[in-house]
Amino acid sequence: MTPSSDPVVCRPACADDVADVVRAACSKGQALEVAGNGTRRGLGNPVAAAVRLELGGLDRVHFYEPDDLVIRVDAGVPLAEVERMLAGQGQYLPFEPPRHAALYGGDPARATIGGAVATGLSGPRRFQVGAARDFVLGVDGVNGQGEAFVAGGRTMKNVTGYDLSKLLCGSFGTMAVLTTLTLKVLPAPEAERTMLFPSAGLAGDIAALAAILSRPLAVTGAAIVPDGDGMAVALRLESSAPGVADHAARLDGTGLPPGRVLAAEESRAFWARVRELEALGAGDDDVLWRIHQPATRAAALADSLRQAGLVSSLMLDWGGALMFCVTPAIVLAGLDTAVPRLRALAAGAGGRAILLRAPDGIRAAHGAFPAPEPTVRALAARTRRVFDPVGILNPGRMTLVREGAEAC
Amino acid sequence: MRMPDPDRGIMARRGELAARLRRIVGAQWVLDDEAERRPYRCDGITAYQATPLLVVLPASTAEIQAVLALCREQGVKVVPRGSGTSLSGGALPLEDGVLLVTSRLCAIVAMDVENRVARVQCGVPNIRISEAARPFGLCYMPDPSSQMISTIGGNVAENSGGVHCLKYGMTSNHVVGLEAVLMSGEVIRLGGAFQGAADGELDLIGLLTGSEGLLAVVTEITVRLVPLPEAARVMSMGFASVEDACRCVGAIIGAGIIPAGLEFMDRKVLNAVASLLREEHDPRTAALLLCELDGTAAEIDALIDRVRGLADQAGAIDIRTSRTEEERERIWRSRKLAFSAIGKMCKDYYCTDGTIPRNRLPDILDRMAELSRTYGLDYANCFHAGDGNLHPIIMYDAARPGDLDKAEAFGADVLRACVDMGGVLSGEHGVGVEKRDLMTHQFAPADLRQQQVLKCAFDPGELLNPGKVFPTPCRCAEFGRMHVRGGEMRFPDIPRF
Repeated sequence: MTPSSDPVVCRPACADDVADVVRAACSKGQALEVAGNGTRRGLGNPVAAAVRLELGGLDRVHFYEPDDLVIRVDAGVPLAEVERMLAGQGQYLPFEPPRHAALYGGDPARATIGGAVATGLSGPRRFQVGAARDFVLGVDGVNGQGEAFVAGGRTMKNVTGYDLSKLLCGSFGTMAVLTTLTLKVLPAPEAERTMLFPSAGLAGDIAALAAILSRPLAVTGAAIVPDGDGMAVALRLESSAPGVADHAARLDGTGLPPGRVLAAEESRAFWARVRELEALGAGDDDVLWRIHQPATRAAALADSLRQAGLVSSLMLDWGGALMFCVTPAIVLAGLDTAVPRLRALAAGAGGRAILLRAPDGIRAAHGAFPAPEPTVRALAARTRRVFDPVGILNPGRMTLVREGAEAC
Repeated sequence: MRMPDPDRGIMARRGELAARLRRIVGAQWVLDDEAERRPYRCDGITAYQATPLLVVLPASTAEIQAVLALCREQGVKVVPRGSGTSLSGGALPLEDGVLLVTSRLCAIVAMDVENRVARVQCGVPNIRISEAARPFGLCYMPDPSSQMISTIGGNVAENSGGVHCLKYGMTSNHVVGLEAVLMSGEVIRLGGAFQGAADGELDLIGLLTGSEGLLAVVTEITVRLVPLPEAARVMSMGFASVEDACRCVGAIIGAGIIPAGLEFMDRKVLNAVASLLREEHDPRTAALLLCELDGTAAEIDALIDRVRGLADQAGAIDIRTSRTEEERERIWRSRKLAFSAIGKMCKDYYCTDGTIPRNRLPDILDRMAELSRTYGLDYANCFHAGDGNLHPIIMYDAARPGDLDKAEAFGADVLRACVDMGGVLSGEHGVGVEKRDLMTHQFAPADLRQQQVLKCAFDPGELLNPGKVFPTPCRCAEFGRMHVRGGEMRFPDIPRF
């Protein structure tokens, strides 16, 4: 599933050069595909652009002050390098950013921190500790006219002016090119432990998880994943060493059958597999969905998707509020009808189905992201336009161009 | 504080506008009598006052839509207001503007215990959400000290913090869905009743939270509820010097401990509070830290031992730890009473809200002492030490000519110093009118412009809460011309308020 065209790659080494590239493109009205190292180009809608602006050359670490819980790095620094630096000081990025590069044939080691912020992807821990946007303290960027600007700051608390950092996080490079990021980091939990329980059926599992999540337990992972021929409920506890033992003891008597325990290293490896969707066992050509819905409606939605023959395998995360599923390549021929059918079923359950991976043609036709209601779509289009008046930054990556045009 | 010049033409039409608004919200919900409008002259910052043109109290989203659409059609400015507890003048009325008060939208629409979210109208006081969630063992975590009165809509507008935001985050970290009305009268619904409902869309919830009522009127909010912590204990730690206390703060965070709250009070605050509570502190105490730890009993015990060890190393002279809920509340009472206790010590005080990188605490405290000598005004310090959010309390006497000006100048110098040390003007109170003219100290023209242009997407007529946050109008009308001319058009001298 490689993108259809291969644009010329432009890879500046400093923010000033980024601004020059964008300014030149703006004056010519020429579209730019904005990327980090381009490891996740299949995420979002395909972008038609003759030039790809890669930020991977911006790789400076400006500062890391562990005592102040803050790190400032250029957008092109590999995510793995940021995580390695933090681990050296016993700290981490709490939102557990997925790489997902392998899904698109990219090298996960080259996935950048800028890409993590631009996509806003957040992993299993997100439902308890927050998403990428909750840890972005400030950004430096270049708008669609090639003007450099600074937003936010480096302090833990900051309500000075509009929160552009949040607006730009998860905007897939459609508003501005991110050049430098200031992130809040936290001390990594001292200990972790995962317990795996045999599934008692999705509805029962989700209800059991809801009961557990309503209690003050240090649960930072609550997933239901394929396990052998069936499914397993996975619960992760993270805290101090005595805390983990204490919380684990409290889980007894919550109605769960006795489970299998994964300690430290094993637990870490398990959640890395959950984060990267390895548990789904999807083939290279299978279509992948990411569906957000209320946890209480996930079981019924899963049933209806299976009954409709739209998915072959699925897993749940965030206590049931996030579903990943696979539409096998065999259904591909009928995908043009399968996509709207699946989206309609998700919408019926109060959810939104995102095409995490699908052939270019399918994403170009249906949009990787379900379209918001018209007033919101129009407002989003106006919001983009004040940052990128000519519409040259990743045009159509989030919203199909024809939708954007009709909104403006 | 200069506000945009009131439009006399609009002011002359008060009666006619009142009649038209009454057709929308009902006769008794438009206040046009001078005596009825007077109580709305200011918000939590009483130094700035203006009588609103009209006060309107709609009861529903549909009424707010109609009010905004009418105001836009008539070119009338609108200032949204919750309970009016803003500490930056965010709800300061305009003499030619309608004050839109949200207190009648006060229903808890839905408590979804299984998905752990609550959908509430904007006028619900913060505390009521936690009260409604408590029977289910849940709570709404952000707890600004105004939480008894301040509305959730106001909290969203200001992105309010509170004592517990060090560990649990600010308002924006807890909002999953918003309904808002644009100045055009259009309703927008963002996100939903679960986390991730807005993934794959522009984070307009993140933008609206903390936008101080300049972009839209938020009418309904869906917040995340979390389990009430099983237990909490607070440690009160006295130090013989401010430096020792600051070192202890750094040591706690540096050791990987994120307390539920970490508060600093200096000797002047302690003295003021002691006279109210009759709570004695070691006479050598120059600064007191309150450190709250929550979790399970075993977790808390382990943390208390570690914090005690760090405090000893930093030279603590007196450490007390709450053993019962009653003791915990007694220890916190000193912090909660700090501002009213200072209020009894002096004629007037002025409190501001700068934030610094936490490791610059000793530097900013030195600078405050220096400024106090320069201005000849006394001050006291009581602040959120864990996240470097300062609330210096500057004491003055409004009856003494020039004192208010001096206090404001002192406060502004403290904020400038915060910015110069890598910090920001506001950690949780917002910019409003109070810090508006200091924005150019923190942001370069291009940075400010990048924020301001958003107005053109939301409210191109600049009718919603004008004169707040930014020292100049946005002038959306010129934006179109600006981008046609590409990179050439920069930032000509534009008039200030």
